[in-house]
Amino acid sequence: MSGRARVRARGITRSLGAVDVGRAPASPSATSVEPGDQEASSSSGLVEANIIPQWDKDSVCSGDSGQSHMERSMRMRRDLMDLEISTREKLAHVKDCKTGSSGIPVKLVTNLFNLDFPQDWQLYQYCVTFSPDLASRRLRTALLYNHSELSNRTKAFDGATLFLLQKLDKKVTELSSETQRGETVKITVTLIKELVSSSPVCIQFINIIFRKILKKLSMYQIGRNFYKPSEPVEIPQHKLSLWPGFAISVSPFESRLLFSADVSYKVLRNETVLEFMTDLCFKTGTSCFTQMCEKQLVGLVVLTRYNNRTYRIDDIDWTVKPTFSFQKRDGAEITYVDYYKQQYDITLSDLNQPMLVSLLKRKRNDNSEPQVVHLIPELCFLTGLSGQATSDFQLMKAVAEETRLSPLDRQQRLARLADDIQRNQVARFELENWGLHFGSQMSLTGRIVPPEKILMQDHVCQPASAADWAKDIRTCKVLSAQSLDKWLIFCANRAEYVIESFLSCLRRVGSSMGFNVGYPQIIKVQENPGAFIRAIQQQVNPEVQLVMCILPSNQKNYYDSIKKYLSSDCAVPSQCVLTRTLSKQGMMMSVATKIAMQMNCKLGGELWAVEIPLKSLMVVGIDISKDAFNKDMAVIGFVASVNPRITRWFSRCILQRTTTGIADCLKVFMTGALNKWQKTNHDLPARIVVYRDGVGDGQLRTVMEYEVPQLLSSVTKPSANTSSRLSVVVVRKKCMPRFFTEMSRTVQNPPLGTVVDSEATRPEWYDFYLVSQTASRGTVSPTYYNVIYDDNGLKPDHMQRLTYKLCHLYYNWQGLVSIPAPCLYAHKLTFLVSQSIHKEPSLELANNLFYL
Amino acid sequence: MEVEENNVLYNSVLDDNFKEVCPEKVIKFKPPLYKQRYQFVKDLVDRHEPKKVADMGCGDTKLLRLLKVYPCIQLLVGVDINEEKLQSNGHYLSPYLGEFVKPRDLDLTVTLYHGSVVERDSRLLGFDLITCIELIEHLDSDDLARFPEVVFGYLSPGMIVISTPNLEFNPLFPTMTLRDADHKFEWSRMEFQTVYTTTYPSLQQERVLKFVLVGELLVQVEHLRLRQQRMLREEEGARGPQPQAPPLLLGAVFTEAEQARIESSPKPFCEGDKFCIPLRRLLAYPKLHRLRLDEDRMRRLIADSVCLSRDGSAVVVDLHSSWDRWPEEN
Repeated sequence: MSGRARVRARGITRSLGAVDVGRAPASPSATSVEPGDQEASSSSGLVEANIIPQWDKDSVCSGDSGQSHMERSMRMRRDLMDLEISTREKLAHVKDCKTGSSGIPVKLVTNLFNLDFPQDWQLYQYCVTFSPDLASRRLRTALLYNHSELSNRTKAFDGATLFLLQKLDKKVTELSSETQRGETVKITVTLIKELVSSSPVCIQFINIIFRKILKKLSMYQIGRNFYKPSEPVEIPQHKLSLWPGFAISVSPFESRLLFSADVSYKVLRNETVLEFMTDLCFKTGTSCFTQMCEKQLVGLVVLTRYNNRTYRIDDIDWTVKPTFSFQKRDGAEITYVDYYKQQYDITLSDLNQPMLVSLLKRKRNDNSEPQVVHLIPELCFLTGLSGQATSDFQLMKAVAEETRLSPLDRQQRLARLADDIQRNQVARFELENWGLHFGSQMSLTGRIVPPEKILMQDHVCQPASAADWAKDIRTCKVLSAQSLDKWLIFCANRAEYVIESFLSCLRRVGSSMGFNVGYPQIIKVQENPGAFIRAIQQQVNPEVQLVMCILPSNQKNYYDSIKKYLSSDCAVPSQCVLTRTLSKQGMMMSVATKIAMQMNCKLGGELWAVEIPLKSLMVVGIDISKDAFNKDMAVIGFVASVNPRITRWFSRCILQRTTTGIADCLKVFMTGALNKWQKTNHDLPARIVVYRDGVGDGQLRTVMEYEVPQLLSSVTKPSANTSSRLSVVVVRKKCMPRFFTEMSRTVQNPPLGTVVDSEATRPEWYDFYLVSQTASRGTVSPTYYNVIYDDNGLKPDHMQRLTYKLCHLYYNWQGLVSIPAPCLYAHKLTFLVSQSIHKEPSLELANNLFYL
Repeated sequence: MEVEENNVLYNSVLDDNFKEVCPEKVIKFKPPLYKQRYQFVKDLVDRHEPKKVADMGCGDTKLLRLLKVYPCIQLLVGVDINEEKLQSNGHYLSPYLGEFVKPRDLDLTVTLYHGSVVERDSRLLGFDLITCIELIEHLDSDDLARFPEVVFGYLSPGMIVISTPNLEFNPLFPTMTLRDADHKFEWSRMEFQTVYTTTYPSLQQERVLKFVLVGELLVQVEHLRLRQQRMLREEEGARGPQPQAPPLLLGAVFTEAEQARIESSPKPFCEGDKFCIPLRRLLAYPKLHRLRLDEDRMRRLIADSVCLSRDGSAVVVDLHSSWDRWPEEN
């Protein structure tokens, strides 16, 4: 089964599972599609659930009167929160310099724009109090602005906090005004802080200014991004409408603040919840309809047409109908039907529909009961792409065609945005007022690290392209392989015809790669999941080396039930293939090669290696995702190399009840992996490098304070006098910067192995970007690495090159992958568990890559 | 011309609706006064269905926001002398996300002008309804003198609503008439300047119509397909003993006329594992019927989005898709 087929078979891509769990679940934002990332091996990079808390829904000048800017600053943007954790200062070897040296320098264009400040630019934050206190923000503003001390200054006031570009003469300024009623109001303006441009409050303030500017460019703000409804891309055959737009932010980079912009698309769906429910009712029948409906709908974010709000569905109330009445805020009773007619001139067509229930987020930190709202399914639109949609190949192709931008297209859109900002008078005026200047697009110098050689059993191969070396190693023998003697094939009666030719192909490619494939026992079964499972239960015993299932369709339950049984109840490696995949005669050789390699890995074989100069190095990958059924459960995958060559792996996975997305069980994992290492190598590894994926915005501190100590405590054993040295690297596939190379007046994706470790990085971190994937269409996105803990003291150059080497070792793809192999293995493992198995896989399988 | 002085109207309301809170001597209305005034305008719009509506002194655009939901209005204009207010409130009038998904039937343009209501501006000619809610008390005596001439003489809209705080009632308030800090500012006269303008997506736009049509059509097709499937399954099941499922409670309820229209159109049919639904059948369903399309236009609009039968008279889909049965078969 190819990667994509598998994803489809499971029904749900990681779109929702990959949401950073630390983020607010109910946010007013729909799913957005980030265009352009074509990933070599995981077919799920397309959809990103864009769930971001809206800390700054209102600009400085339009907040609620009661809520001061100070209060709101507490809810700081989560990525800014991370910036407060300075990890670099503790790492002595990179304190002065964190840049590498090897490789060929390359000039890169970025999606970052310079923001120019005057040298002594400062923002002055004042607290304004009124005596007697005034409730109306408008009145407060009017009174304050009337004073001559303030009238000619650049200012922003939200009712409580005042920002000025120039300092007032005195620290505390007392003013007095008279209202229309003749009341005298004393105003006290007290200086709280002088803010330099790099302070978090200031960064947020500048972000707000840019939000205001983008609104002025007639863009529509959804969540934190801005979209242009005037230029929609419509895909009517899928009831979808895509809005092009931008994700923008101002954030501090290595030496200064930069404005970054990336193209983003918003997906709107022309399907109401009621339509969804009626269809579901037909599909499921009435018996289990209510449960099914709740399972499908709870947790989704819906958009209401009449007031432009988004709500998260928390429950469905089947007892309330639109004809029931409720109490309005003023106490009057009214039926839902009448209410919508009166308020919005909307007539409901179905009076039997149940009500969706949504708990409103509490605005302030009071302890009052959360407010509950009832929503009419007919008036709620589904947002984002459903699981069914994301697994619909045609649909995703249609979406991808629209959203996958070439580097040139992307660059042109960025240039247009920059141009719009610079040309628009209001925008320019606003920026000039605050002493800002929107500068040019930034370019920087990266390095292309040298390519790696692929080591096969008796052959060292220098691939023509690191993106795909399938051709280069076609005739080479793999590093090691167990011969496969006792194995079973289960197939549906109708699919028997494909087996003969497939088997001969498999044996042929197997023998050329040194993998001896014997004749299997073929078992024919009826075409339904139950029959497959029954046959497997009867036939499979522990002596069986491998089970292959040739599945008639990509229905999720075939795959899930088989994997569930063979991964935990009866631990035997299994391989699922679709009949359709095997019936394409022209593709047979390449399909057979891929399957042979996967089977070899599942039996514990090794395919290839790269040169690892460090002796006795263990690499570890950790990933976390949410269980598809039970959102309170986090699935934590841990994959560690167990030989110095980094070709054999120890994989474990645990389900943990958590809401935070922080792993509790790392000590167990790490100790297990070290025991395993000691068993095979009779020593402990000298160095351990941990790559941690799945860290959301704002979680860096927890990882630093909670996960790193767990790892540390397990590598330093008081009994042993030696201890392994540990490094922890946080891996992020989504990052704001993009890089392009400029070539003969057009821009292209940067070459493989491009490393950026200056200017687009952060001063307080030991971090770098690495491009380790290709995109035949679309724009490549670099992977961001942040070394948060480092005992090994590897030179930055070595750290970068080690990371690059590890991107070569993913055995499911004969080419480079976007993240280090242990991370991708861990991801693959958590994906299998969270989508299909839902419990811990058997420990007997831990030494095999059974989840490939 | 219909001129209503709504103070009179509210006087009668006030008698039984106001409550006095003794210590502060503040009178509160329930519903609040401004809401009562807005409701008055809304009722008027409901009754007379004006096409072009202008709100003079629209301020924070609150009334315009309430009026934009009315399907009859095609041009909505707000005029105010305070440009800053218009600037900061304009974006509230932009179409909602949902209005792109489920657009209006008729076009709607919303425009905010910065200007004085006592200037003659031809752009305000020919309106069906002009509202001046709590406006005239803001005008100085010169302007007040010009106001009737401009509004009644020059603009002369189909209807006009003028409201102002009731003077007899005013002494009861603890404050003076002018409660808004804006009132004392002076404004220079000038020509109307467009501060903000937006057009709403509507079914009158071909692109929007196509999007809606295809969407509704696909929803209907899917619905019919699943119903057909269920019918077939029940027929199969009827041979064996199977409990009869209770009738479905969900789904749109048709009126008798709608039902008759649907019944009289050609029926959907199966050809092998293909399911064909005649376009005329689809057009009979209310959600498609209300788009008021003929079969030819519909065919043209959907041709590149759905699969049609050879003669183009029906939509053809697979009767079974791989997603259909999953919930039951576990």
